[in-house]
Amino acid sequence: MKKFVEIFLGILTAMGGFVEVGELVFSVNAGAKFGFHLLWVVALGTIGIIAFCEMAGRVAAVKEQPVFNLIRERAGLNAGLVTLVAANLVNLLTCTAEIGGIALLWQLLSGWPYRWLALLALVFLLAVVWILSFQWIERVFGLLGLLLCVYLGAAYYLRPDWTQVAAGFVPNVPRLESSSEYTLFAYFVVAILSSVLLPYEVYFYASGAIEDGWNPSDVNLNRIISIIGSVLGSLLAVALMVCGAQVFRPLGVEPQLPGEAALAASMTFGKAGLLAAIGGMFFAFAGAAIETALSGAYNLAQFFGWPWGKFRPARKAARFSLTWMITFALSALVIMTGVDPVSVVEYSIVFSVVILPFTYFPVLVIARDKELMGEEHANGRFANAVGWFYLAVITLAALAAVPLLIATRGGKG
Amino acid sequence: MKPQHLDIVRQVLDHEVIDSNNVPCGMVDDIELEGRPGEGLRVTALLVGAGAWTKRLPSAFEGLAARLFGTQLTRVPWSEVESVTERVKLRSEAAELGLGGADRKAEKIVGKLPGSG
Repeated sequence: MKKFVEIFLGILTAMGGFVEVGELVFSVNAGAKFGFHLLWVVALGTIGIIAFCEMAGRVAAVKEQPVFNLIRERAGLNAGLVTLVAANLVNLLTCTAEIGGIALLWQLLSGWPYRWLALLALVFLLAVVWILSFQWIERVFGLLGLLLCVYLGAAYYLRPDWTQVAAGFVPNVPRLESSSEYTLFAYFVVAILSSVLLPYEVYFYASGAIEDGWNPSDVNLNRIISIIGSVLGSLLAVALMVCGAQVFRPLGVEPQLPGEAALAASMTFGKAGLLAAIGGMFFAFAGAAIETALSGAYNLAQFFGWPWGKFRPARKAARFSLTWMITFALSALVIMTGVDPVSVVEYSIVFSVVILPFTYFPVLVIARDKELMGEEHANGRFANAVGWFYLAVITLAALAAVPLLIATRGGKG
Repeated sequence: MKPQHLDIVRQVLDHEVIDSNNVPCGMVDDIELEGRPGEGLRVTALLVGAGAWTKRLPSAFEGLAARLFGTQLTRVPWSEVESVTERVKLRSEAAELGLGGADRKAEKIVGKLPGSG
């Protein structure tokens, strides 16, 4: 029974923790611009995130050691340092985007100035991570993020043409009017892929496995949670895209802000739908902000051998605690300078994909290492094939990301 | 218990160091060896701290890293090593060996906050 509850909670938290501000904005926008034609990218990304989360979780459970410790051991100091710097830059950028997203949502509700709300968000996040245990952070933000399920209902009631939805899952490129439209489509392919495969999810997941005290007997638990949690999580992304296609595409509107995405829910479920959507977004963004800040602190601590973890009293993991606090503070500061939050979201997604190969490659190398993982737990042929395939895919995406960002002038076409 | 054959690069270098209470207190950032050509080579100490690892970076980054992270270096005699598994376990507490100093400094700051445990 206890095991069942653990699996159930794990799946739900993985699902609720799946969506963050970049994914939300890009999914709805992709639906508005290209209808159902980008659904296959969500599916492609989902299999990739499952493969890498499963590997990282398995490594953590089998070795009872977090991934960044092993990256340094196996890749050595210099290559490990490249991974560390890359991963933490993206963590910082993603955390900044999430805090911007929270401030925008609160502005929608209160009308207060955006910058001061970023400061308020900072205070809120610091207090929450300071006070709550790891398990409660996981539960509160994972489960309340499930309010976003309102989009599953909305997608259903908006009566999309289901044969067209299904056709969207087959890799395709729609017939477009101009070459710049095709470039924009390619940009969205890269952005959606990046938003599903954001690297912090993998590292956070593996460190979370240690926080939860996983050991080799949890390898199957890891498999179930990473597969079902990610599939259900990406169902939310699919629903967001369908809502974008049904609500905004006919109007010719390109929703840029998270608040506009909330309209899709309110059109089907009225005020309750609007509140559920905004609430769900808030918990999803705050959850992602917490995950990125903690992930940055985990990575640093594991790389340099500091005591870490929320399971220790903050005083006993002092540098670790200071690191996540500083990450929150820096992120909020960036937002308070008055940068355009939508641009921050765009950049966080595009630069994530640029460094994605650096952060995923070591995970694959370690998970397939029979000497390290043992015959029983090392990657089989299937996991290796999937791993290398996705590494090739994300390397291509990484190479294309910045040229596409420039060619489309930041997705404006 | 030490294994009979120890590959110091694969099994010791860049591994986590834990003290006698199992508290992480750094990484094996470098290894000190002793010996002359034609004689046996002996491991004499583990080197822990930014002063050790920054020297292993490409020379272009060495100076910058040393400025950012400092040059603090602690020498842990090999005789202090109790066991080598995934982690390198020491016989004494971190503070006795001069390890974990930065964490104790940070502890003074974090310890001032209410509810720091």
